[in-house]
This record gives sequence, structure tokens and C-alpha cells, in this order.
Amino acid sequence: MLKFRSLGFPPIKRKLSNVKPIKDFELTCGLEIHTQLSTTNKLFSGSINNPFESISKPNVNTSYFDIALPGTQPILNYEAVLFALKLALSLKSTVNLASQFDRKHYFYGDQPQGYQITQHYHPFSKGGYLTLSKEFDEINEPSKEIRITQLQIEQDTARSIYHQSLQQNSDEETLIDFNRSNVPLIELVTEPDFHDTLQVKAFIKKYQNLVRQLKISTGDLEAGSIRIDVNVSVNEHPRVELKNLPNTSSIVNAINYEYKRQVNVLKNNSLIATQAVETRGWDGSKTTVLRSKESTMDYRYMADPELPPISLDADVLCEVAKTLLKDADECIRELMSEPYNLSKKDAKILTIQNEFNELYNNEELRTYYVDTFKLYTNSMEDNKNGDPKIVVSWILHELLGNLKKLEISLNHVSRDMLSPGKLAEFLNIVHSGVISNSNAKQLLFHILEEYKLEGCNKSIDTNFVTLIKKYDLEVTKKIDYAVLEDGCKEIIKDLNNPKMIESIKSGKKKNSIKYLVGLGMRKYQGKIQAQELETMFKKVLDIK
Amino acid sequence: MSVKSIITKIPTIQKEFNIFTSYIKNPPDATVENTQSSIKVGAIKDNIATKDFPTTCASDILKNYSSPFDSTVVSLLKKSGALIIGKTNLDEFGMGSLGLHTTFGPTKNPLNKDWCVGGSSSGSAAAVASGIADFSLGTDTGGSVRLPAAYSAIYGFKPSYGRISRWGVVAFAQSLDTVGIFANNIDTVSKIFHIIDQHDPRDPTSLSIDLRKSLIDQNKKNEERSKPKIGIPKEFVQSELAPEIKESFMTYIQTLLTKDYEIYPISLPSIKDSLSVYYTLAPAEAASNLSRYDGIRYGKGNSTTPDIVNANFYNESRSNFGQEVKNRIILGNYNLCSDGYRNNFIKAQQLRVQIINQFDKIFRFKNVLTKNEPEHDIDIILCPTNLNPPPPINYMVQTPKSNPLQEYMNDIFTIPMSLAGLPAISVPFSKGKPYGVQISTQYGNDEALMKFVKETVF
Repeated sequence: MLKFRSLGFPPIKRKLSNVKPIKDFELTCGLEIHTQLSTTNKLFSGSINNPFESISKPNVNTSYFDIALPGTQPILNYEAVLFALKLALSLKSTVNLASQFDRKHYFYGDQPQGYQITQHYHPFSKGGYLTLSKEFDEINEPSKEIRITQLQIEQDTARSIYHQSLQQNSDEETLIDFNRSNVPLIELVTEPDFHDTLQVKAFIKKYQNLVRQLKISTGDLEAGSIRIDVNVSVNEHPRVELKNLPNTSSIVNAINYEYKRQVNVLKNNSLIATQAVETRGWDGSKTTVLRSKESTMDYRYMADPELPPISLDADVLCEVAKTLLKDADECIRELMSEPYNLSKKDAKILTIQNEFNELYNNEELRTYYVDTFKLYTNSMEDNKNGDPKIVVSWILHELLGNLKKLEISLNHVSRDMLSPGKLAEFLNIVHSGVISNSNAKQLLFHILEEYKLEGCNKSIDTNFVTLIKKYDLEVTKKIDYAVLEDGCKEIIKDLNNPKMIESIKSGKKKNSIKYLVGLGMRKYQGKIQAQELETMFKKVLDIK
Repeated sequence: MSVKSIITKIPTIQKEFNIFTSYIKNPPDATVENTQSSIKVGAIKDNIATKDFPTTCASDILKNYSSPFDSTVVSLLKKSGALIIGKTNLDEFGMGSLGLHTTFGPTKNPLNKDWCVGGSSSGSAAAVASGIADFSLGTDTGGSVRLPAAYSAIYGFKPSYGRISRWGVVAFAQSLDTVGIFANNIDTVSKIFHIIDQHDPRDPTSLSIDLRKSLIDQNKKNEERSKPKIGIPKEFVQSELAPEIKESFMTYIQTLLTKDYEIYPISLPSIKDSLSVYYTLAPAEAASNLSRYDGIRYGKGNSTTPDIVNANFYNESRSNFGQEVKNRIILGNYNLCSDGYRNNFIKAQQLRVQIINQFDKIFRFKNVLTKNEPEHDIDIILCPTNLNPPPPINYMVQTPKSNPLQEYMNDIFTIPMSLAGLPAISVPFSKGKPYGVQISTQYGNDEALMKFVKETVF
């Protein structure tokens, strides 16, 4: 790997507590968010876009252009344009039908061209907004609109890896890994619309959810797929740009620290009149000057002389807009109302993708849920005793848990063996009481495991009625209560724990009866419903 | 001449004229030797990437650089069976008009060893003029093929911008950089042009396949008129033009008149701004392009000082650039600073568009790129290539460089066509004399241009 040397400071980590606003000192923040797009290839070359491979294999995803060899040229990857278009349209930003690329010049080890190709004079889109609400985003105001200034497409730099040189008498050494060089980024700039850290936190979370929903980025802060700089200004204090903020908590802590620092400056009247922006870094406990106002960079922006403008047809915008999904808040609201009536928590799980998951995405999951729900409720029309709540609980708790445990994908399962129709049929059987809940759970796991063992690609005809017969799981319909009473007495006898029995009878440990029920379920292999067992135990122990 | 005898001759020629930065030592293989009668022997300017030779740009900062890939033009030539005998000397990164600003020392003019051969494609011109190569490739940003062709009395063709791939051509100012062809006769120029005139998906400025098709149609229309109409811009009538060049040019005009060509005086008022526009835009692009030679990747690193001080990157090995390159980096960065950009760069870009629009009005054909409607009926534009004969090397080297503008003046006839991206060729009308006639035409009519040369120059 390429090396160069620098004089640097190791970061210190310490947690800060939140700061209360001080009267008459208003905080104003704006964000600059860099989002790595998860396109197949890099922005201006054919190399694979996988910056995270770098940890084990530095410099494998590099073309001649990515390392800026003389005589190489950029060729724009239109997948990145499509991704930017999805984001711009989702944020109601006005897309420039002929945006252009510019070069931003500065020297640094991780910048092999000596400039970054970005969009300065004619950005990809301008305007737009993201609305936060008390209901979904935990901010103090009922609703808060954060305006977007602009979106621009640009190149990522290579990655610098700092470590102590092995050579004697040498300062810190920097290794450069070019896997990240020329990865497509979108820089989003907001207006200075934030006035507390709750809003900042909510915006970041909502933005992460959005890029994940659009499938344009992994949206990860810690891994660096999203990197955020914050502009902070208290009252008339000149804007300060905060950098090196690796996660939401450091963003919040740095803003809080900077707020207090600027309030002190204002209180002590030690403000120096200047318009130049100071850049400060976050070392884990305080903000420190990275670049002073005196050494402000002139990036010498120049229109790129060889890249043509990104010219877009208005029709393309309409077509892309059609492919966009519904707004996440709207989806949640829908799931919380008739006929689904889900809790906010469940509705959010079905709508928001918290992490990149290969087994299912929120959209597939939501469709699967909605389809199953409809089929289940339709089949219940003749049989009015259905319970629509079991659909969400079986899907979120049983099915998803099993998929994760067995590492099989929802799409495959739905395609090959457990279509929404099949699941609805199964839930009907469960609800009718033909099979006990615990046996139903075991049966579901069992057939999924069979499917996995078959290699997850064979279509399986899942006839639950036959399966229940085959494994002899059917609940005994005609219970011989005399025999059951003897059975329950035997369980109590075998347990040989008079102390426990006494505490159940006296009502001291009422719930211990569940333990007896469990023993009963085991004894009868789930073929007698838990309810029946509980009633019988109560009768035997003479509990009212 | 057999390949073997050419290779044996190179060291002598090299000693005499300092043409090459590196050259072939042994014939590549027997098969080449067998087909020697038909193969073309070529030399490549050393700012065009090659796998077989270093690619130095005649700069200390790339002195040991070897490209892992061949440029598209070199691949195409190799595939056609051409033999590349070496890389040729140049003004560092293509910056210069005399072939003097090079770490390898000046190339000498085969017409007269005391003269400059012209630049920046100095070695490529000398390779053809000395007879060691059938053809050579240069690059022409503001006249770097046409001027040395005129100085060494050979053909030097700068095709329309975008027709020849720039993939592998080390950028000087890529809105202007064009690969050009040197040869001793128009047939060889034409043959080589047809080999390398290909769309290249790796070059973002390569002319698209669709536009190439529309040019074929335009070319058919060109042939409908047997005698193209000729225009001579009055702005190109320079009082400083050397008398012998004026005389040669007038003789050519006479020849055309006797052959019944119609010649019209035309006016392109904006070309008076050409030099200023060029020396604003080209150094700015150059300063940007040369930023990648930041001292940690290229050049000799300094092991005793850190590369970063106070969060600013600073590397002393950027001093490996030569003085002319340094001058242009400073000029370029001055024009890119936020004030300079607004006041100079943007204005220069606007003036460049104005120049293109004026050219478009003069011609009979529509410019396929700008889609400007023509207002006149001219097919061919004529002017001299050079203002003066080549200066002596010693004089230029010994005279203190008080005024770089003097060197910049050499490009006065060639720069307007570069700014407009037009095809232009310098033709040695007076055999063996160090001056040329520059013939130009509308964008994309490269074939018509070569046809005109074949019909009027013998």
C-alpha cells in the first residue's frame, strides 16, 4: 500500500451527557451528509464498488482510473445517476436536467487525482425537504420541515489508515487503500433548520431509513457509508464546521460541546468579527481546530473539461417517480389503522429497514404480511371467530425468528413452500384448535428445516392437514376427563414437590400452575390444549 | 529500408537529432521482418502511454514511469501491423512551441541542426523529417503538431477533436488535446488516420457512433461540389509575417486560382481573442491535470520531511517539474482561484464559444456538435502555419527568457482551430523550406480536407 507520513494525534473517547439549552442562546445547525451509493460499479470506472472489502484485501477493486494513472479518463456510471434521481425525487428536490461535474482541488494522500470530481456550479438537484414529526420521529414539535439545499454526485476518496510507523524516529505513518477511491457519493446539504439535537438525531435516522428503503445505500454510519459534517452557530457566532463525527452519539455530543463553547465565547465577548468558517474536529471529548479561518482553502473549482453534462429527459424523471414506494410514515399510518390495526412498533418493523438484511427486506415483509392478512381475513368470513392479530405475531415472531435461525430467505420460502395463502391456511388450522400452539410452532420450524436441508430450492407441497396427521399432532377432540384427571394427579405425584403445590393452592405462586401445564403438554405431546390442562389441574387442586 | 536496418540506424540518428526518449533495440520477431515491405514504421510522442516503452512526458517527475497499458491509438496501430520504433522527445507535458523545454535536451531540426524543430511534438516531427519513421503520432493542443510539421517541412495533421481516442494520452488540457499525425506524404497521413479514427467508449470525449454516421452523410454531400470554395480570413493577414513565408503562401494561392478555385476574403473578428482565451483555459486545465503528480506517487519523495504539516499537504518533489511547466501551473492556478475563475476563466469560455460560432457561420456545412446554422458557403479556410522560420536553438537557449509571450506568439495561426476543434493540416507547400500552409475546414470534414490537399499540393 502507498504510504505517507503525517503529524497527528490519536483520538480519545469519552461520553458526554446531553446539554440543556441556555436561555437567549439559540442553537442553529445544518448538515452535510455524504452517502455512499451501493451501485455495482464505481462512479467513473468499471471496477467493483465494494469499499468494505478493503479491510482484508486492500487495493483489489482498483482500475487505472481509480488510482489516477496518467492517460486515464472518467466514464460516468449511470446507475449512480438513477440512484441520485430516486433520492432527489423522494426528497421533492428539483432535478437539474443538465447538471455538470466540476473539479475540487486539494492535495491529500487519499486523493490520487489531486482533485475530487464533484458538482459545484450546477448541482444534481436543488431544494426539497424531509418532514419530521412528533408521532414517528420523537421530536418535541408536532411537525418540523427540514429543507434541503442541494444534492450533488461526487467521488469518494481513498481510505487513509493511520498507524505508527515501524521505522525508528518516525512519526505516524499513513497507508492508503484505494478500494474506496471513486466510489459514488451523494452529498446532501440541508438548510440551517435544526435547533436542537433531537431534530438532528431524528433527521439522521429518517434519512438512513429512506436510503435503505430506496436500496441506494447500506446507510451505515459506523462503517462510514454515511458520513456527516455539522455546521453549528449559536446566535451571531460565525458558523463552525464540525468534522470527524463517526456516529450519531458523537454528532450529538459534539454539537452539545460546541453549543456550550460558543455560548461562552459570546458571554465573554471574545468574538472576533469574521465571516470565514472555522473547521473543528471531534476527538471524543472536545472540539478542536482542524483548520483555522486564516488558512481557509480555495478549492479552485473548475468545470471538468472532459465529462459531458448529465442530461436527463423529463420523461425519465416521471418513469423513475413511478417506481418509488410510498412514504414510510404513510405506510406506518396505514398499518396502524383499519383493517390491520397494528401497534406502532409492529407497523414500524414492517416498514423500516433497520439493517441491511439478506434474508428479507421490509418491503417484501410488508407485502407478505398484507397478503397473508387479506387471505386470512377473507377465509374467516364464514367463520367469524378468527383472530387477525395472530397474523402479525406469527410472521414477526415465529416465521422471522425461524428464517434467521435457519438463514433462509423469505422470498424463497414464499415461492417454494409457504405462500401467503399457505400461511393463512395454516393460521386458520392453528386458530381452530386442531393443533396446539406449541405443536404448531414446532411443525412450522420442522418444515422450514426440511426445506433448508433440501437446499432451499425445491418446491414443497405443504399440506398441513396431512402433516398434522402424519406426525400425529392433532389435539384430542374427545377428551376422556376421567383419564385426564388421573393423568394430572400422576403428574403432581411424580413431581413430588408438596411445597410448590401448596403455594399454588394458597395462591401465593399462582403462576406456577403454568409449570404444571407445561409438564402436561409434554406428557400428552401437545395433543391436549393448554387450556384444558389448566382447567383440570385447577379442578384436581381445587382452585377456584 | 528493412526493419533491421532501421533499428541499426536509430542510434546514429538519435545522436544527431536527439529525437527519442527511448527506442527499440532489437527487431520484435521474425514475422515482422518477413512482411517488412508493407509495414509502416512509426514513432510515438512520449506523452502517449505505451507498455513497451516508458512514458515520461519528458518530465523528471515521470522519468521512471512505465504505463501498465497501451493507449488506444497505440493498440490500434499495433493491431494494424505497424512497428513502433520508439517514444519521441517533446516539450514537457506538451507545454512549449519549440521543443526546448525537455529534460532530455532540445531536439534538432533535420533541415538544419542549428534550428529548433518546433514543439511540442518535437521528436515526432524530427522522426519523420529525418526519414527514420514513415509516420509518427504527436499531440496538438494549440498547434503542437502543425507548427513542428511546418518547421521541418512535413505534413502535420490535427484531426477534428473527438475523432481519435485520447485514452492513454497524458492530459495537458483535455478540452483541446488532440492526437495528430506526421508523415512525408498525404497518403500516409490518410492511411494512419483511417486506422486510428475509431469511437472509443473509454474516452468520454470520443465522437459518438451516431455522429460519426451523420458525418459520413455530410461527406457524401461534400463530394457533390467538385471545387470547394476557399476563404482567407483577413484577421490572419499579419504584418509580422516573414517575407519568404508570405511569398510561399501567395504562390500556393496562385496555383489554386489557376486551377479555377474560387477564393473569398472572409472575416472572423473573434479570433483576435484566441491567444488570450487559450492562455487562460489551457494552463488552468493543465494546473488541474498536473495535480495528480503530487510528489508521493510520482517524483522522488523526500525522506526527511513529513508530507503533511499543519493539516496542509506539501511535497518538495513537485520541484521536479521544469520551469515552463511551473510557470503554467502558477498561471493556471491564478485563473482558477475564485476571483480569477469568475473574471478570467468563465469569460474565456464564453469567448471560446463566440469563436466557434463565428467559424460555424462561415462554413457551408452545419457543425454536427453545435448545430449552429451556417450563413455562408465556404468549404476550406487557408492561412500560413507559422509566422516566422524556426529560431536557432542556441539563440533561444542563451537569451534570457524575459518574455514568454514571444514563444506563445508562435501559435497565433494554429490556436483558433484548436479552440474550435476543427480539423487542420500543415502542408509543406515549398519543399524543404521550414514553413507550411495551414488548411482547415468545418468540424468532422477530415476526409474532405485530405482530399483537397491531394488535389492541390504536389
